[in-house]
Amino acid sequence: MKKRIGVYVCECGPNIAGAVDIDRVLEAVLSLDGVAVAEKYGLLCSGDGKKYLVEQVREHGLTHLVVGACSPKQHELTFMTVCEESGLNPFLFQMANIREQVAWITPDTEKATERTIRHLKAAIRRVLYHTALEQKEIETNPDVLVIGGGMAGISAALSLGSSRKVYVVDKRDALGGKALKYEKSSPGMANSADVVENYLRGIETDENIEVLTNTNVEEVRGFFGNFLVKLRENDAESDARELRVGAIIVALGMDPLDSEVLSEYGYGKIQNVYTSLELEQANVDGKLGMSGGGKPKSVGIVHCVGRKEAGYCSEICCTVGMKIACYLQEKFPGIAVTEFYQDLSIPGRGAQVLYEEARRAGTEFIRATNVQLSESDDKIKISYERDHDKTEEKPVDMVVLLVGIGPPADAEKISNLLSVPLGKGGFFTEEHAKISPVSSSIEGIYLAGCASGPKGIPETISQSEAVAGKILAGLVPGRKIETEAKTSRIAENLCMGCQTCLDVCCYGAISYNETRGICVVNEVLCKGCGNCAAACPSGAASHQHFTSRQVYQEIAEIVK
Amino acid sequence: MSQNAEVADQILVIGAGMAGIEASLTLAAAGKNVYLVEREPLFGGQAIKCEEVFANMECATCMAAPMQQEVLQNERIELLTLSDIKEVQGVAGDFTAKITKRARYVDSEACIGCNACFDPCPVSLPNTFEEDLGERKAIYISCPGALPNVPAIDTENCVRFAGEECNLCQEACMFEAIDFDQKDEEIEVRVSAIIVATGYDLQDVSQIAGVEYTESGNVYTAREMERLYASNGPTEGKIVLRSGKEPTSAAIVHCVGREDIGYCSAVCCMYSFKFVHYLTDKLPEIKLYEFVSDLCIPGKSYQAFYEKLKDKAQITRFQNLAISQQDDTATISFQTPSGEDNTLEVDMVILAPAIVPAKGASELAEVLGIRYGEAGFYGTESGIQSGVDSGRQGVYLAGCAQGPKDIARSITQASAAVGRLLASTD
Repeated sequence: MKKRIGVYVCECGPNIAGAVDIDRVLEAVLSLDGVAVAEKYGLLCSGDGKKYLVEQVREHGLTHLVVGACSPKQHELTFMTVCEESGLNPFLFQMANIREQVAWITPDTEKATERTIRHLKAAIRRVLYHTALEQKEIETNPDVLVIGGGMAGISAALSLGSSRKVYVVDKRDALGGKALKYEKSSPGMANSADVVENYLRGIETDENIEVLTNTNVEEVRGFFGNFLVKLRENDAESDARELRVGAIIVALGMDPLDSEVLSEYGYGKIQNVYTSLELEQANVDGKLGMSGGGKPKSVGIVHCVGRKEAGYCSEICCTVGMKIACYLQEKFPGIAVTEFYQDLSIPGRGAQVLYEEARRAGTEFIRATNVQLSESDDKIKISYERDHDKTEEKPVDMVVLLVGIGPPADAEKISNLLSVPLGKGGFFTEEHAKISPVSSSIEGIYLAGCASGPKGIPETISQSEAVAGKILAGLVPGRKIETEAKTSRIAENLCMGCQTCLDVCCYGAISYNETRGICVVNEVLCKGCGNCAAACPSGAASHQHFTSRQVYQEIAEIVK
Repeated sequence: MSQNAEVADQILVIGAGMAGIEASLTLAAAGKNVYLVEREPLFGGQAIKCEEVFANMECATCMAAPMQQEVLQNERIELLTLSDIKEVQGVAGDFTAKITKRARYVDSEACIGCNACFDPCPVSLPNTFEEDLGERKAIYISCPGALPNVPAIDTENCVRFAGEECNLCQEACMFEAIDFDQKDEEIEVRVSAIIVATGYDLQDVSQIAGVEYTESGNVYTAREMERLYASNGPTEGKIVLRSGKEPTSAAIVHCVGREDIGYCSAVCCMYSFKFVHYLTDKLPEIKLYEFVSDLCIPGKSYQAFYEKLKDKAQITRFQNLAISQQDDTATISFQTPSGEDNTLEVDMVILAPAIVPAKGASELAEVLGIRYGEAGFYGTESGIQSGVDSGRQGVYLAGCAQGPKDIARSITQASAAVGRLLASTD
């Protein structure tokens, strides 16, 4: 079919008309190959302007549209909608920014006119090589797989169970995670086990939630809306179970930082040195006390264990230390509790309340560095530097090490299964640390709780509910999802199977077809970032709306 | 569709900062129709006042603008700027809210945002958006790039509204967008749920004992610093003192007002070290001091940011700090942790004031019938919960209205509020 391009220049009041000789521009472009009509209009983005454009496309039987106006940021979508209304594929359209890039910055009319001609010619040459792109719709499965049945996993499942089937998978033999081991949760000091058990009752009574304990995730294929997951019971010879789900939540929780750090504090050698988790467990078991029985008269709580090695602050240890001080003071009235801290990290109102409570109960806070433990008689000698110079010592009966939070033990395995990368500290990486903190870079795979970094229980629940919000909004039963139209493609005959594109794809959208020896783009997952097109050494990968030809044609005209 | 079903699909979001924007976009994706109410003439909240945000030092506008554009283009979201909530009645599932939408006096449909109306305006006054460091006209947009890109007339300062004959802006407008006859509107909406995302303010440092701060001196607030560094700010990103000189030394003071308010504001340590980057970026020779009480840099990525910048400033721990201003300098008097008295004279002092509830927060809480604590933040931080509960069914909280937090947590809480809302209506 013969190409018939319509070129329309917006006067934008005096903004363009006052700076550019538009009539000369129109005359210059009208004679170009493929241009059927070139006109100007007062304000194309106005209601009348849009109607005018629709009529023009129909009247002249236009196959392509070029608009010279403001920044595409402002009105590209406006004119793409015009295309749709007039029956033209919206990708057969190109916008030239002649207001911001020419009119507003070029005082000389002669120069501005020449530049405008060049911008428009570039747009015209480019649009000739545009292809019609379609936004596809795909059917989806609304069900959700939750990996990990701790606080993050169960609170997410409970928020989703009313609208779809939710599978909660945990390799352990029961749900509840670490929060079950705490008497109280800091900083709010609510009864943790009660709350978790309440959640678990909710899970039990929700018919839509299926719990799969002692179960591992073995394989994950597919994409947002259509994942196929293979599960297998621990050590079972039984067949794998296959599930179809539309979204996956990574709620693996955390594990305490490496034990190597602990041995530096004499942990395992010196009696009555406990980790915070051990103390929590002993507390809920009613076994709080010295190892040989008996009540401790003095306890030192050492903060920031493992922080230096890990290179980050675990966020919750300060308040955990204060919580433990409160446990001890309640159980052993008159006990002397000393917190050896570096910096008190207690953001927010709740943490301050707990801090004040710990102080009121008589807890001593010492800013200390270089804390070391040694045995001396029946006591543990804590030596430390106060204010970075004075070395002091304090003998205590018992020491609690506030061990930092590390990534969950399974992080690497699950990361590989899902193609969701691990980043800082070995935690799962968010799609965007600030504005997309509960999504992963793979659409349809979400992160909740400590899997993406250390956090307390309130923040964990907040993340779980946030994931639920994303899924409830984006994966609605019976609703199809729209895919990106501007995707990449890999030409079969040019691809040599080097798989360079696999490494640079941020969205897990490319896979390697072993039998054919080529890479293939999944158009549902592809977001059109163009990384593969830039990295491909053989020119097989290209972005459909930024092909080399389109870009070169545009550049050739603009640099003339 | 029955009227009830229609109401079920309508949601009111109060406050169009990052939290309100995120909540609105997620609700719209779920098929809800959103009234997004913002009291200022522009939206984007506090985040858009920053040139860059920690810890990745991303351009804040570049981060926020695509979300803002999405709000403006989304047919399911009606953004009501210059608007206040006057009354809320009803129950979860069927609230009626009365909103006053103040006149902008510029027709948003007709205006193309060319700004031709500013030049002829005879009135110049300090721009509060720029912390009074720059000026604006009586017809204005708050800063270049502000969205929506439609000016508003400040009737308190416009000479026409004071009774003089002036229509210079109207004459300059080629699009007949300026309409002096626009009236304030009373809008009534019926919604099934409400999300409150009204954000925060910084504590007024002039009220803090021991801190001498005047708007002509060498002591600056964190927000003034943000605008000084902003490329769309009053100095176009040039860091100069009010006297016009470049500072050769600066002290950044953490925890200003913390003792008064009684809690840690969560984000000040991080942005204070961001200022080290700002200042050394523009003035490589500057001598910098950070006055720190406790470093609060939680999470997997914040410490690395601190470590990258800590050697570019002398870090001093302090207690009992006081600040006084001289003609060309400012002096910090403080005690070291071991109790020694000390003073330091610098060209510039930058304060990191406490985060406090937004102006009018308690009044709005009364209108909404929601819980607010001693400090004035909504809801509660106690117990085991995400913080989105307002104490009134059908009303949810998001962002700093509930307590100080960074952008990531505000966004998370906004999605969480939507999660709770959608889960309860499914």
